Amino acid sequence: MSTLTPEQWQSLSPYLDQALAMTADERAAWLASLGEQNPALAAQLAVLLDEHRVLAQEGFLERGPAALPSAPGLAGQTLGPYTLLSQIGQGGMGSVWLAERSDGRFERRVAVKFLNVALLGRGGEERFKREGSILGRLAHPNIAELADAGVSLSGQPYLVLEYVEGDPIDQYCDQRMLDVQARIRLFLDVTAAVAHAHANLIVHRDLKPSNVLVRTDGQVKLLDFGIAKLLEGDGEGGAATLLTLEAGRAMTPQYAAPEQLTGEAATTATDVYALGVLLYVLLTGQHPAGSGPHTPADLVKAIVDTEPTRPSDAVTSAKANAEVTTSNAARRTATPEKLRRLLRGDLDTIVAKALKKNPQERYASVTALADDLARYLRHEPISARPDIFAYRAAKFVRRNRTAVVLAALALVALIAGLTGTLIQARAARQQRDLAFRERDRASRITDFMTNMFKVSDPSEARGNSITARAILDKSSQQIDTSLAKDPEARAHMMYVMGEVYDSLGLVPQGKSLIARAAELQREVLGPEDPETLTSMSLMSVILLEEGHYAEAEQLQRQTLTVRNRVLGPEHPDTVRSMSRLAAVLTFQGRNEEAVKLERDAVAIDRRVLGPEHPETLLLTNSLVSYLWMGGEPEHYPEAEKLQREALAIERRVFGPEHPDTLNAMFNLATILRREGQYAESEKIFRETLSVESHVLGPEHSDTLNTRNSLAVLLTQQGRYNEAEELYLENRAIQRRVLGPANAYTADSTYNLACLAAIQGYRDKAMALLGEVVGHGLKPNTALHMEEDDDLKSLRRDPRFAALVAHAKKQAAAAQRPN
Amino acid sequence: MESRIAALIGAAEGGDSAAAEALFGTLYSELHRMAKRELARQGAAISLSATTLLHEAYLDMAGRDGPSFPDRARFMGYAARVMRGLIIDHARERHAQKRGGLFEITSLDTQSMEAAVDHRELVQISEALDELGKVEPSLAELVDLKFFCGFTFTEIAVLRDVSERTVQRNWEKARIYLHRKIRADLSL
Repeated sequence: MSTLTPEQWQSLSPYLDQALAMTADERAAWLASLGEQNPALAAQLAVLLDEHRVLAQEGFLERGPAALPSAPGLAGQTLGPYTLLSQIGQGGMGSVWLAERSDGRFERRVAVKFLNVALLGRGGEERFKREGSILGRLAHPNIAELADAGVSLSGQPYLVLEYVEGDPIDQYCDQRMLDVQARIRLFLDVTAAVAHAHANLIVHRDLKPSNVLVRTDGQVKLLDFGIAKLLEGDGEGGAATLLTLEAGRAMTPQYAAPEQLTGEAATTATDVYALGVLLYVLLTGQHPAGSGPHTPADLVKAIVDTEPTRPSDAVTSAKANAEVTTSNAARRTATPEKLRRLLRGDLDTIVAKALKKNPQERYASVTALADDLARYLRHEPISARPDIFAYRAAKFVRRNRTAVVLAALALVALIAGLTGTLIQARAARQQRDLAFRERDRASRITDFMTNMFKVSDPSEARGNSITARAILDKSSQQIDTSLAKDPEARAHMMYVMGEVYDSLGLVPQGKSLIARAAELQREVLGPEDPETLTSMSLMSVILLEEGHYAEAEQLQRQTLTVRNRVLGPEHPDTVRSMSRLAAVLTFQGRNEEAVKLERDAVAIDRRVLGPEHPETLLLTNSLVSYLWMGGEPEHYPEAEKLQREALAIERRVFGPEHPDTLNAMFNLATILRREGQYAESEKIFRETLSVESHVLGPEHSDTLNTRNSLAVLLTQQGRYNEAEELYLENRAIQRRVLGPANAYTADSTYNLACLAAIQGYRDKAMALLGEVVGHGLKPNTALHMEEDDDLKSLRRDPRFAALVAHAKKQAAAAQRPN
Repeated sequence: MESRIAALIGAAEGGDSAAAEALFGTLYSELHRMAKRELARQGAAISLSATTLLHEAYLDMAGRDGPSFPDRARFMGYAARVMRGLIIDHARERHAQKRGGLFEITSLDTQSMEAAVDHRELVQISEALDELGKVEPSLAELVDLKFFCGFTFTEIAVLRDVSERTVQRNWEKARIYLHRKIRADLSL
């Protein structure tokens, strides 16, 4: 980079004056037209203006240098039982000293904070002592303890505080490159501390990163609780706030709430606002008022008047410098685009609600804010949202859909498990009923849920989150009375709600509603009405789920016959009956029949609905599964071919990052693995893993599942070290996200044990198994350890026998009613 | 010292480098003395605002020097530059204490840590500022007032009798120059 000569600078200076007086848009146009006349000049100016963007982002020269010297010679002086050691900071409010107890009672370092006498206001000393004793009772692990408060002999008030060594929370997060989830979890510790103080009627009033420290051990500590209050005169809240602002020259109003700047009283809502700003900064790396430069007046205007940019927009904002956006995102282990996607939606909404200008519109309490963040982390619907109902429905279906997709993945894993026999196989076996649920139901549930939420009373739902289950239970109770006069609609509602119950895994509730719906429809509409047939068809699926195969088959055949006659052989409903019948046949081990029937169904849908129709794709998936199920190698090429076609269509129609596309990739890789085409299988698994890590995040269950499958592939090839690394990676994530005793975490350990056993490391395998049997491993897995071929090297080991016996005893004990 | 400051400013502006040195020396010791006096007066552990100090210094010195004392804006310009040196010296001292001292500085204090800028950075800024002073002195003076002495845009606008917008625009210009200069120095 070259420096400008004085001459260059002087010739550019007047143009800079012009440019800096313009808005960004005006500037762009002006530069463009200048470029036509004098390209060299325009280019130089553009460079300087870019420089300006960078320095504004950096906040260059926005913080002043350290203050002037304060009085020397306090070191060594005593203050009650404390000896001052050295000054560790100073600022507008006063100075801070490191001190230790000198009366030898216990060894402990403290921070002594002297407050500026001038700031204390009228009748200060008395009030200071009184308030100090209240603050002293504020005991919380995340609040720096106030040990003492007093006034020195020379009349200077001081506080004795727990000495905290740590970094401001924003720096802590950046230095450790914490991702969004980890940042939120840390932030929840902050909210816990603030909520505790609020419960004790203490408002912080000055929450900002430098008051929220994180120790190296990760413990959050809030400083200066209520100190702003100490500086405030009785009954002169507004004036005192201004005084505080003015007195602390370095204290910018960056974290002040609008009401603080307009001189209204600070309340718990003020802290909610400041927490909102803090959360904004932690998530985006920017201040809600946007990137600098800010004069105090601009900042005040931004805080009082301007709606902040949504966090998701802020992280990719075109106004922001690309380098800064990228590095901000990188500090959150994301790309700007990924960060935007993470923040968009719930986090935008939560932050916006905390930052409402009107205190009444903010979260009613810090706890309410924390609850929403916790819900976000659990992928549950949050409470904040104006159009709450459609939103909830969408969220519900999204979650439900994930379950359905997972089930489909599990099915494939099951098939793989026929030879691979690692843990996923067993998990899949348990879930196979789920796997056979058609995914098209998800979209129908969407319609229903949307409507159901829409008819709910908004006033009833506001404030606390209602679950889909609660709505279902309530609606199903009301169904007889509210739709008494319309048996047809009543039957329809019963059907739809039964379907939702069923897809939530609440099969008995679903079954009884579907049975009642079918009965009512037969009565009102007749036995051959399409609606009656729809209920019958679903009843057959439920019977299948319950394991009543013969009944399920009989009912579905009956439905198919009538549909054939009433709707015609090519009607989608008729085809669906064929497909459902095929599922029943598979479960009875009649796989060849299922394959033939499903092939016919797919052929009709392809012709009638087209190859890109979701229904066709769905049935194709089922067909691929059946081609697998029998374990007949002569079917594999057909399965591979169909899966490749489906993948191509999904890539084109849904795009490369869509869950269905990823699912198809996963399936194809699994098929290839089965066919022994390891190289291509590995390539596709790795591609899937990379897209999933990027799109769904490294902690998503699909991502973990794919990594697991890749490990299975590597195990099959004898690449044990690589496989082990992947299992360990998964387990580390699961331990962190799900906890050490979680069933999935235990699965990974079990897989590691299998891997060790395969290699003949029996001690290691036993140690790993010992870790999880009875500590998270699903009883069903534990009970079938003996039969697991991967563990066969352990079969003659007495320790293994003992462990199996132990697992059996535990399972038996669990089954006995207490 | 009858209007000594006024005489020194006059000579310094006339190109007398010895006078300029004497001017800064006088201002430095004067400000330093006042800072100590303020600390003694206000009691222990109170930090001083540079702005307050400059205002008081002006009142104090103008009162002593009489009517020929230079106008406030001119005085502040020089004094702010002196203050820069005072602050950097102080930061250096603190740095030395810190390294030799018993403890690692923590971010316990709220404002001072936000405010603290590493003394090496200050030296860098100061050097770039000296360069800027040769090219566009009024911009350099603005940085002394704003960054080192904590004057607000409003105060500077009043002092210089210009609009606040102008002050802000000049501030951005100065920042561009300094930022560019410092980056260029770093990339050497």
